[in-house]
Amino acid sequence: MVIPYVVVIILFSLGIYTVISKKNLIKMVIGFTIVESSLILLLILIGYKPSGTAPILDRQYEIVVDPIPQALALTTIIIGGSVTAVMLALVIKIYKRYGTLNVDELRKLRG
Amino acid sequence: MSKINERLKKLHTIALVVALAVFLLVVVYEIHNLDNNSKRYLSEHYISEGVRETGAINLVTSVLYDYRAFDTLGEATVILTAAAILSLLVPVSKATMLGTKFSIIVYQTTKFSIPFLAVLGVHLIFFGHLSPGGGFVGGVVLSIIPILLTITYGVEFSESKLKPAKKKLVEDIGAIGFILLGLLGVVTGSNFLANGQANFGPGNTGELISAGLIPYLNVMIGIKVGAGLAIIFNSLIKEK
Amino acid sequence: MEAAVWVIILPLLTAFFLGISKLYFKKILFPLVTGSAIIYLYLLISVSTNSYPPKVYSVGGWGLLGINLMVDPFAAMFLLIIAILFLPVILFSLKYIKIDKHDYFILTYLMIGGIAGMVLTADLFNLYVFLEVTSLSSCALVAIKKTDKAIEGAFKYLIMSTLGSFFILLATILTYHLAGTLNMAEIALEFKELPFKLKSILMALFVFGYALKIGLIPLHAWLPDAYEDSPIPYNVLSSGLVMKAAVYALIRVLYIIFGIDFLSESGMLAIGVFWGVITFIIAHLLAFQQTNLNRLLAYSSIAQIAYITIGLFVGTDGGLIGGSFHILNHAIMKGTLFLVIGIFYYSLSAINIKDIKGLGYQFPIISFTFVVASLSIVGLPPFNGFITKWLIIEAALEAGFGYAAFFILVGTFLSLTYYLKVIVTLYTKTEKKIVIKDPGLSLRLPTIFLGSLCIVFGIVPSLPLSLINKIPQFLLDHSEYIRILLGG
Repeated sequence: MVIPYVVVIILFSLGIYTVISKKNLIKMVIGFTIVESSLILLLILIGYKPSGTAPILDRQYEIVVDPIPQALALTTIIIGGSVTAVMLALVIKIYKRYGTLNVDELRKLRG
Repeated sequence: MSKINERLKKLHTIALVVALAVFLLVVVYEIHNLDNNSKRYLSEHYISEGVRETGAINLVTSVLYDYRAFDTLGEATVILTAAAILSLLVPVSKATMLGTKFSIIVYQTTKFSIPFLAVLGVHLIFFGHLSPGGGFVGGVVLSIIPILLTITYGVEFSESKLKPAKKKLVEDIGAIGFILLGLLGVVTGSNFLANGQANFGPGNTGELISAGLIPYLNVMIGIKVGAGLAIIFNSLIKEK
Repeated sequence: MEAAVWVIILPLLTAFFLGISKLYFKKILFPLVTGSAIIYLYLLISVSTNSYPPKVYSVGGWGLLGINLMVDPFAAMFLLIIAILFLPVILFSLKYIKIDKHDYFILTYLMIGGIAGMVLTADLFNLYVFLEVTSLSSCALVAIKKTDKAIEGAFKYLIMSTLGSFFILLATILTYHLAGTLNMAEIALEFKELPFKLKSILMALFVFGYALKIGLIPLHAWLPDAYEDSPIPYNVLSSGLVMKAAVYALIRVLYIIFGIDFLSESGMLAIGVFWGVITFIIAHLLAFQQTNLNRLLAYSSIAQIAYITIGLFVGTDGGLIGGSFHILNHAIMKGTLFLVIGIFYYSLSAINIKDIKGLGYQFPIISFTFVVASLSIVGLPPFNGFITKWLIIEAALEAGFGYAAFFILVGTFLSLTYYLKVIVTLYTKTEKKIVIKDPGLSLRLPTIFLGSLCIVFGIVPSLPLSLINKIPQFLLDHSEYIRILLGG
């Protein structure tokens, strides 16, 4: 049961690495989506129970997984998607103004 | 000189991220050692009493639209905010067409699949409290229709069929309707966004008209999310 | 307590209706905005005066099973700040904002709704959701002018605040995993049995995430850029409410969930005070070099928020009272300063220090307001800034943070130098004839109102203090808060 958590940590760290090290703005945004996915995976993991069914009780089930993290995951997806959309819009704007997506060149252009 | 500097900077970043990863590993290790699987009384309550209290078979829906409906209001607001920002940042000037011309197969398939998508989306919304699905998922499926139109026929055609102002109106109506449905709880003497507690008639669980207000809340969120995502997509693609 | 939930949904409803009015009835903007602002003022005042003893409002009527809102004196104080700032800023922006008026008001109302949600909620995940509403709409307001600087500032702001949100979300998820609930009171009870190490790690995640949002040095880089080219009425709300809301949420999480005993045991209080001292010294030094008035005030905001952090992290009754009172005072003082700058910008687009030369004779009353507010923010008697700084210094001395008290005095001199520079420029006579656009009464009145509050709260501090004095009772010792939230 530890290996999935390690995957979460690897994804989270990779995402953060992408955000702080990549020069390309689009890649930075991709980094954010990676971090967000790792958090959603973490939410699914903490709700998981071995051999549990989905929390839809049309019959009596023995083991049902935790419904709260799934609801939280839905919220997180929606918020993450909205934030990504706004980021991309700003990136497009920046590209239109300066004609480049590279952070270093942007800094040079600004002076 | 600058190359060495860059190397150093990269090493610095990697060290930082590795430190973060180790830190998180310690967290996981500590949590794993703790072994407290018993502390889930809230979700156990939802699982054992949720169907009776809210009338919805789908527990995720009952959490989203009843127990934690206030969160849903918040996230609906987030989508609305994002749609507002995008329509603000994008100039209304000229929409661009995608350059690609598709073969007739693509056009015909798009036309053919739209009714199915509409039925699927509406089904997901209306049966959200009975089966996997719900307002968010259904809304996303519904928003695929304008997105497909945009991709195959171009922005101009898509927006002549579904006017941006209409979509914005639908989105606002969805958000206002959600709050008004929430206020029904206040009117009937219970609290804001009350459903299970306000006795709107849970009905026979498993039927379409059951679970009180949850289906209607689903509809509101469904049209809101569908319209919002369509606005967001079209705004992003419009930018030349 | 129906009013508590109206505090959150009225701004949201207004924003949604504004969205419809943008499409079909452009004319009703003015009555809709002002009417809702006036009703909101009444609501805020009635909620915040009814905050003692604290009240719980359960959304959906589920009690501990659902989301609860809690109005305690700390929240009431924050609602009072919204009440003081909101109507003047709305009246100011009605004339000031020329383009994208509808979008500006939609986003402002969404932001206010998000802030009210952050202030009132007693649920950890709900806090995160409203945090996102606030930061997303706030970021959009930075970009609203669509100039190069504005877009860039907004992008930086969004990157940093999203990074902060991820850490907060991670901590929230882990908290749910460990406690099995999201209600703050229940989490606090569960956390009492948690091992020390695990708690410290969770606390570190929360603190790092919120520090990014607050802009403590070295995580402040986005903040001056975000202020530089944004609409000035928004700057008032941003420095007065958005940054403060992050401070508020951090304090709420630390004091309620972790408890004061754990904070002092783990050394968090000492770290917080030390961090605050470093932050305000560096921020003052950086502010000294600025030529753009917006950036100068942004750095000054960082420094002032560091004072607030020190006050709130001292960990005594006096510190909490001083820190929370400084939240109120700083909102008023910085609001006045920004509005004055806004008037200068409106009439002759002056935004650099050298542009405002000689304006002291053209705008005698407005300039005098600026002098009052800047002397107050420096911390000179008899204005309100002096009182709160005094309270913070006193609390720091009492709690054994002598160095913090000393450095606050040093910081006062540092801030005096750069504010004096601005004031002297303001009253330097020039030969140049300046053409001005008349700002009119609707820009002057809100400014003068906020400026006069600087003097009123300086002379009669007992007015807000009667509310603020009750804050430590429910914050310093979290057992009272927990008991009320659990419904005891």
